[in-house]
Amino acid sequence: MLYKVLKKDDYEKFVKSLINDFEFIGPVKKDSVTHDFVRINSFDQLDTNYKKTTIAPAKKVLYPSKETLIKYELGQEIKINAEKLDENEKILFGIDACDVNGLNFLDKFFSTDLVDDYYFERRKKLIVIGLDRMPSETNFSLSMGKEFAKDGFDLFLTDLKDRFFVRVGSLRGHQLLQKYANFSDATSKDFKDYNKYMDDYRNSFKLKVDINNFYDNFEQIYDNDKFWEKIAKDCYSCGSCCLVCPTCFCFNVRDDMELNLKNGNRIREWDSCMIPDYGLVAGGHNFRPTKENRLKQRYRCKLKTFSDKFGTNACVGCGRCIEACLAKINIAEDINAVNNAVKKEVNV
Amino acid sequence: MKNNIYEPELAKITRIETVTPSEKIFDITFVDENVQKNFNFLPGQFVELTVFGVGEAPFSITSNPNNKAKFQLCIRAVGSVSKALHSLKEGAKVGIRGPFGNGTFPYEQAKGHNVLAIAGGLGLAPLMSFIRYIMDYRDRYKNLMIIYGAVNPTNILYKNDIAYWNSRDDISVCVTVDNPDDKWTGEIGVCTKLIPRVNFKPDDTYTIVCGPPVMYKYVIQELEKKNFQEDKIFLSLERRMECGVGKCNHCHIGDKLACVDGPVFSLWDIRNLKEAI
Repeated sequence: MLYKVLKKDDYEKFVKSLINDFEFIGPVKKDSVTHDFVRINSFDQLDTNYKKTTIAPAKKVLYPSKETLIKYELGQEIKINAEKLDENEKILFGIDACDVNGLNFLDKFFSTDLVDDYYFERRKKLIVIGLDRMPSETNFSLSMGKEFAKDGFDLFLTDLKDRFFVRVGSLRGHQLLQKYANFSDATSKDFKDYNKYMDDYRNSFKLKVDINNFYDNFEQIYDNDKFWEKIAKDCYSCGSCCLVCPTCFCFNVRDDMELNLKNGNRIREWDSCMIPDYGLVAGGHNFRPTKENRLKQRYRCKLKTFSDKFGTNACVGCGRCIEACLAKINIAEDINAVNNAVKKEVNV
Repeated sequence: MKNNIYEPELAKITRIETVTPSEKIFDITFVDENVQKNFNFLPGQFVELTVFGVGEAPFSITSNPNNKAKFQLCIRAVGSVSKALHSLKEGAKVGIRGPFGNGTFPYEQAKGHNVLAIAGGLGLAPLMSFIRYIMDYRDRYKNLMIIYGAVNPTNILYKNDIAYWNSRDDISVCVTVDNPDDKWTGEIGVCTKLIPRVNFKPDDTYTIVCGPPVMYKYVIQELEKKNFQEDKIFLSLERRMECGVGKCNHCHIGDKLACVDGPVFSLWDIRNLKEAI
């Protein structure tokens, strides 16, 4: 890791030249309450001062909501062609630390056991420039240990009012600085101010959970039907929580034929474990028929499964699912509810 | 297998046998001879089969792993892909990905021990590859007993194999049906009823089980009454494996995935897995 500093004026020049030379994706204000990561053509469109999380997570850049995996052509001879991706280098700008950690999770997920070429074809062409920002009200990434990004970015900027503290995470990041920016090495004073920023940042988290005790407590409360009925009773099984999640990876595969009935496309699109037919098998048996079953499965996947598999949880604590849920189901409150119910030995 | 984990290989259906009103057996060979030659699978593994224009679905391989010329699937017409597959003729082309699954039947651990196979309905199909494998290396295993329950005599699968097993004195076979017809002279009732009669030593026996979801609980109860050990009971579980490679996540069972961690699990591995059995 290299540590550099960019003055405010130099920052603006740097970003402008990146917007000029690259396909540049950054946070843009959509309406009074929502921001989204979209393609940007001018510096004025960029709005990094958003208070809430962006509506859609950055994963959509690497893992689109719908994509073709293979194409085939029927006839005397059947031809199968895997979709070849030909991606340009892109810049994803202004994603915060927990979103970078979300990408880190997906990197690990899509490369474990067997490698998903579609994801990595895009990933290796993506330049990630992170930007620290104060936590939103629903952000509990500090408790999840995901409030700080150690890696997974090319550059990571921290706003120290008159200048930016820059962590350089890759050779490509360093090359970009050298080519487009007027920068200097970070001094002790810069480090001191950076530390002060990080202390303030960590002290600003209001929403906290105890994830360590949850690991065992979840199993203790798992079969308590009344407890889960109360939590899941308002769930619409709409799947919004999964669609906005920066680490949800589930997809559905289906074949679409074109009108000539000769050309077929195998498509994958985001799916959600909260949708009733997710666990349905041919013959009509549904392995997770109730919304309680499905919510518990989601919490297990987010908060337990990958701490066993990867040593790190899937949930980064960004809080998007809390904001997106129409039924006001709150994962952070539910983690604490599980712990409290066990602590109080209450049969809810 | 192709480098791209989602790209199927072209294969040809060389033979179709209608075995019951709802089940057919398909012999399949890869179009590319080299692919066929290098297609090595283990008892318990499955493939993803594409019916072009319809979609892809997972099916257990039922043939003997030692048969390198082709492989075999036994399929009930019940979903969109399996129904479309039933309408295909010999010579038709399908797509195949696989073999998949890291959890296989205990072909190594069970060496030198008894093997008890318990199947309900179509659950006999996944067990077939292991049973056929044992037949090739019969001297490596002690006693072999097969308990098989079907709905009625018409729906009994693998009648030829069953007749062959009956003709041998080193295999015992018990077939039972829920709804007998006039000609039926065998056992009547569910297959769990036959478990108490098994006289294998619990610590010397590996049990393999496959059947409809409802069956497992009762089979396990009976096996445990006889003190069969949970690390020696293996169950093949059905889930909706859409990708087969641990990415789409539809086959989640608690913390495990049926496609990469299974589809065959020891009872110990899934005992405390919620919603597994």
